[in-house]
Amino acid sequence: MNLNIKKIFRNKTTKSNHKEFDLSRFKNVETFLNEIGGLSLFTSKFFRELFRPPYEYKEFLKQSYTIGLSTLPLIGITAFIMGLVLTLQSRPVMAEFGAESWLPGMVSVSIVREIGPVITALICAGKIGSGIGAELGSMRVTEQIDAMEVSGTNPMKYLVVTRVIATTIMIPILVFYSDAISFFGSYIAVNMHGFISFPLFINQAFDSLHYFDLVPATIKTFFFGFAIGIIGCYKGYFSENGTEGVGKAANSAVVISSLAIFIIDLIAVQLSEIFHVFTM
Amino acid sequence: MIEQKENIINNSFNNGEIVIEIEHLKKSFNGNNVLKDVSMTVNESENVVILGKSGIGKSVLIKCIVGLIYPDSGLLKVFGKEVVAMNSRELNILRTRVGFIFQGNALYDSMTVRENLEFPLRRNKTITDPQVIEGLIVDALENVGLVDAIDKMPSELSGGMKKRIGVARTLILKPEIILYDEPTTGLDPLTSREISNLILKIQNKYKASSIIISHDLNCAKITSNRMLILHEGIMRAEGTFDELKNSDDEWISSYFKID
Repeated sequence: MNLNIKKIFRNKTTKSNHKEFDLSRFKNVETFLNEIGGLSLFTSKFFRELFRPPYEYKEFLKQSYTIGLSTLPLIGITAFIMGLVLTLQSRPVMAEFGAESWLPGMVSVSIVREIGPVITALICAGKIGSGIGAELGSMRVTEQIDAMEVSGTNPMKYLVVTRVIATTIMIPILVFYSDAISFFGSYIAVNMHGFISFPLFINQAFDSLHYFDLVPATIKTFFFGFAIGIIGCYKGYFSENGTEGVGKAANSAVVISSLAIFIIDLIAVQLSEIFHVFTM
Repeated sequence: MIEQKENIINNSFNNGEIVIEIEHLKKSFNGNNVLKDVSMTVNESENVVILGKSGIGKSVLIKCIVGLIYPDSGLLKVFGKEVVAMNSRELNILRTRVGFIFQGNALYDSMTVRENLEFPLRRNKTITDPQVIEGLIVDALENVGLVDAIDKMPSELSGGMKKRIGVARTLILKPEIILYDEPTTGLDPLTSREISNLILKIQNKYKASSIIISHDLNCAKITSNRMLILHEGIMRAEGTFDELKNSDDEWISSYFKID
């Protein structure tokens, strides 16, 4: 096929006295398509292994605990600052329209629908995705994955399935935690320029939230978690070329999963809009 | 060269059943023919050393034996069964009977020595009694003389110790065949000799058959019952250490020259 393409382009270019067409410009497209194909095959293998016994409960619990606990402080601090800054930045505009009392409601909608899930997922892509990519990559280049295989353990099940399920379940929980901390940050910010009791703040914040704010936002976090886990595992599992390959695996795990988060978010927003229109 | 190989084959070590049988095995990577036509056998309780230059496909060959890499064509039988035709369950059973010691030891670096040894045991044996498991772990570590390292992490061990733990992890499943991928690479001469003697001790104690991939002539001399030289994807020579060393063929004896 490559030869055919070369032939066609050679015929075209000879007319205009150009040198032989450089096929290397298609290399990136080929690499991209290979990545998509590889990731799709890897995902289908994940689903095949997911329902096949034995189930690695212990490793899944260990991974869930590690993923959850390791990101808790980072997400907590980021979420607090996020809630605080968002409120402080929005306050002058709201005050201009005399709508300061809407501040808790506006902030809660922003956090629950968009900022909370996306920022938390991006932090997790950086921390968890790179961690998984580097760990599995290092296991691959030091032949630990092969050693596992010759020990009669299915590494796909033991290493990949457990991690992907752990991220899929833990990211939504971390998003809830992040939302709660952001509310607290926002409450502090509101009280910097006035006074509002905590029960009243929470009441106003939840009053503005509807079913269509919560459900799509929660569903998309499962997809965020899945994307972080599967991309991190894929990049690590097929890492090569020694320590350089491990670095590349960790790096591309973060880049690709961050991109995937934005794409999933875009699709989720469109779908929830369509769903909203049809149910109105 | 090939005629000479055939003469040597007649004198080869052959005092038991064939446990590994390879005929016309081929394997290529991205058009690069690594194994062109490999044929060899391993007999019961026999140590076979494979000699050859780096990157010539020695590790690929033993990875084919445990199904980590699939050959492109050829016959590959272990315990009389075709490896390529095995399903995952059969392959797992085979892997409990064939131990593999990796060049870089491949110890799980997030686990202690105890957990490293426990890992294959818990997954492949039906033993659940912690005391029995502990007994087997201690027994395996005693075989390699490293009982004191039981609670250490792999990062706390020296190269020789890691190699021994790798051997202990393989021995814990009491395999009938052991595949050693360059067991003495990167070790000092004294530790290399210790590892070589350990390989010999394992052969005598467990009556296991082994394939030992090595560049180390001392290791080959100590451990081999029979040697093979892999060159350009083909087994070009076969014989005992002394037969090959004293070969009239300059190409074969060049492997045994020390400057």
